[in-house]
Amino acid sequence: MTPFVLCVCLLFTAAVVFYVFYLPGTLKLDPKKTRAAYLRERRDVVYDNLRDLNFEFKAGKFPEADYQAMKASLEEEAAAILAEIARLEAAPSSVGPIGSPTKQKN
Amino acid sequence: MSQVGSFALLIALVLAVYSFLAGILALVRESPGSERLGETARRAGVAIFAAVLFAAVVLVMAAFRDDFSIAYIFHHSNRDLPGPYKFAVLWSGQEGSLLFWSLLLAAYGFVLRLRHKTDQRLFAYASVIIAGVQIFFLLLLNFAAHPFAVMQGERAVDGNGLNPLLQYPEMVIHPPMLYLGYVGMTIPFAFAFGALVMRYQGEQWIHITRRWTMVTWMFLTVGIFLGAHWAYAVLGWGGYWGWDPVENASLMPWLTGTAFLHSVMMQEKRGMMKVWNMWLVFATFWLALLGTFLTRSGIISSVHAFAQSSIGEWFGWFLAVTFATFALFFVKNKAHLKSEHRLESLVSRESSFLFNNLLLLLACFTVLWGTWFPKISELVEDKKITVGAPFYNKVAIPVALLLLLMTAVGPLLAWRKTSLDSLKRNFLWPSLGAVAVGILMMIFGVRPWNDISYFYALMAAMLGVLVILTVVSEFVRGGRVISRHTGQNLAASVVHLWHRNTRRYGGYIVHFGVAMVVIGILGTAFNQDKEKEMGFGDKLALGPYTLVCQSYTQDDNPNYGNEWAIIKVFKGDEQITTLYPERRFYKASQQPQTIPRIYPTFTGKNPLLITDLYVVYEGVNQDTGRPIIKAHLNPMVPWIWTGLLVIIFGTLSALVPNAAAVRVTVPARAQAVPAGAGD
Repeated sequence: MTPFVLCVCLLFTAAVVFYVFYLPGTLKLDPKKTRAAYLRERRDVVYDNLRDLNFEFKAGKFPEADYQAMKASLEEEAAAILAEIARLEAAPSSVGPIGSPTKQKN
Repeated sequence: MSQVGSFALLIALVLAVYSFLAGILALVRESPGSERLGETARRAGVAIFAAVLFAAVVLVMAAFRDDFSIAYIFHHSNRDLPGPYKFAVLWSGQEGSLLFWSLLLAAYGFVLRLRHKTDQRLFAYASVIIAGVQIFFLLLLNFAAHPFAVMQGERAVDGNGLNPLLQYPEMVIHPPMLYLGYVGMTIPFAFAFGALVMRYQGEQWIHITRRWTMVTWMFLTVGIFLGAHWAYAVLGWGGYWGWDPVENASLMPWLTGTAFLHSVMMQEKRGMMKVWNMWLVFATFWLALLGTFLTRSGIISSVHAFAQSSIGEWFGWFLAVTFATFALFFVKNKAHLKSEHRLESLVSRESSFLFNNLLLLLACFTVLWGTWFPKISELVEDKKITVGAPFYNKVAIPVALLLLLMTAVGPLLAWRKTSLDSLKRNFLWPSLGAVAVGILMMIFGVRPWNDISYFYALMAAMLGVLVILTVVSEFVRGGRVISRHTGQNLAASVVHLWHRNTRRYGGYIVHFGVAMVVIGILGTAFNQDKEKEMGFGDKLALGPYTLVCQSYTQDDNPNYGNEWAIIKVFKGDEQITTLYPERRFYKASQQPQTIPRIYPTFTGKNPLLITDLYVVYEGVNQDTGRPIIKAHLNPMVPWIWTGLLVIIFGTLSALVPNAAAVRVTVPARAQAVPAGAGD
């Protein structure tokens, strides 16, 4: 092993060790996901489904009767989720961070 | 330099082991200080990339410096190899391609670990799983297939050279694409497995991995098609897919990955098929590993496979360990994967996804069975029974047609259930269009009752048109709604529509591309070919073309010697082109290679009926001294490559973020749905 090779290996090792183990400041993990946070995600998905359903109805893909039946079913699902969120919010220990829920459609 | 490369690989292994063990410890131990331990594990994961990249750069530099003291460079390069191919030396042999696998995995892991703030806990689990996979590849590189092994004895003056089949521009892109696809499948698997282990609440992990999955699927698709195009443009047999075990190896994870991309939407939208999706994503990862195993172990004969080597055993053990670990956690946590809804109707979007999945899995199982059957028959009956194209085609063609039908039907069905009235609204015009195409084809001479291949071609054309029309109708109808609301013209409205939900409409563009590919494949039914010894001035007639041999010539350069024919092509009395089919002989490796010439042309007046004129110089008849020319007419093949471009465009457009954030006001209690929904 030549001195050059030895130097390259030592430098590389030192850089890696420094990067991995030098941790200035404090670190904090996100809190664990709560049931309420999960329900908010589900609620947003149901809203998305409703939005898609409305759009497809306007595009003429479904007859009125089909649309009303599907809409009612989705609204029922949304209502059940919202009811559970409300129940959990009434018991503060079980909820995650509360804020004005908005969503990025993606 | 080889010592530096070896050292970098050793450091990478140490980092991977640390990232894995410290990561597990930090996740298991919920105590003060575990955050710091977890962070060092993450950083070690990041640093793996630097170490493996360092090793890869050293190997590539050794190829450029013609350092034949390294055995790998001696076996896969030579002094006169052109520059870009020296870069491709990295993935041209077993050790280098394993290093490349490891590098890509480290690169994916690098990006993932930098984005850990999206969901720290889930990313920490995924990071540990990736580190586990990385350990396996680094163990291989350090102890079983070392790319920096040094040659014994006197230093060689020149190397053996790169495999001639790989000395083609596409070959510089094909393996990286395929590998990006193979390796990338580790990422959705790592997230899914992480979600299973930590009993992740909800489907957000799917949302997080959506783009990863689409990108890796796109790479795998591009890799497979580039491989097919390379086979078409280089191997000189006139076809693009031969059901070779290594081709099959890439197709299997593609099939399960495609199934996963569809069925995962059911989990996202309806909370269904969670167990199915978990196994699908595992199967995709596992089959990608199996594909690597097939090419490395030499267990199955293939034109692509590397020579038999001991690393097959390593892969066998790793496949077994990953299966056992996944199965263990699945059994432990399966209660967590309970479906939130049931299938309500057989005529619904959900059922179309389910049928699509079953068909894709049937295709995958057929390919798996056909690939392994020679080995199984050898073990059971002590004789090797080869499985050829007819076996695969018997299943694959009907399955592909049914899949095409599902591609047309699925997007037009409603979630939950679809009424007869709704079916009529959505399918009447596209179906009439498809039937019209079928009738037109029969009028122009396609007789499906004469030959089963004509029947398949007719069905493929009709179903392909059905897919295209349903996609167009989705865009037009959606565009009209936007147009009514905004006053924009239809074209602007369609762009607006796509930007409103890029994944959905990008997906439709992908479907359009798939239909084009299938239409391209159906042309196989009408292929023609002729072979002739051709002296100067001899003619060969094929379809509407006449090939006239003008002369033969030869040349020589430091890398290879070559000879080629000069063939003038006439259509009627008009000369349309001159082709130069070629045969090379590579000096370092002492191997020949055929370079066919392909000329896309129109056999009739219809510009859609494009045909490849494919001319091969097969060498010289030793008895007569006259060269042999083989010509093929391959109708519709350009549709396949154009279809791929559409698929890439569709996938990329599906990756674009949606146009606008939609604000949803949430009522305090369970009583409302979003106001103005649907606009």
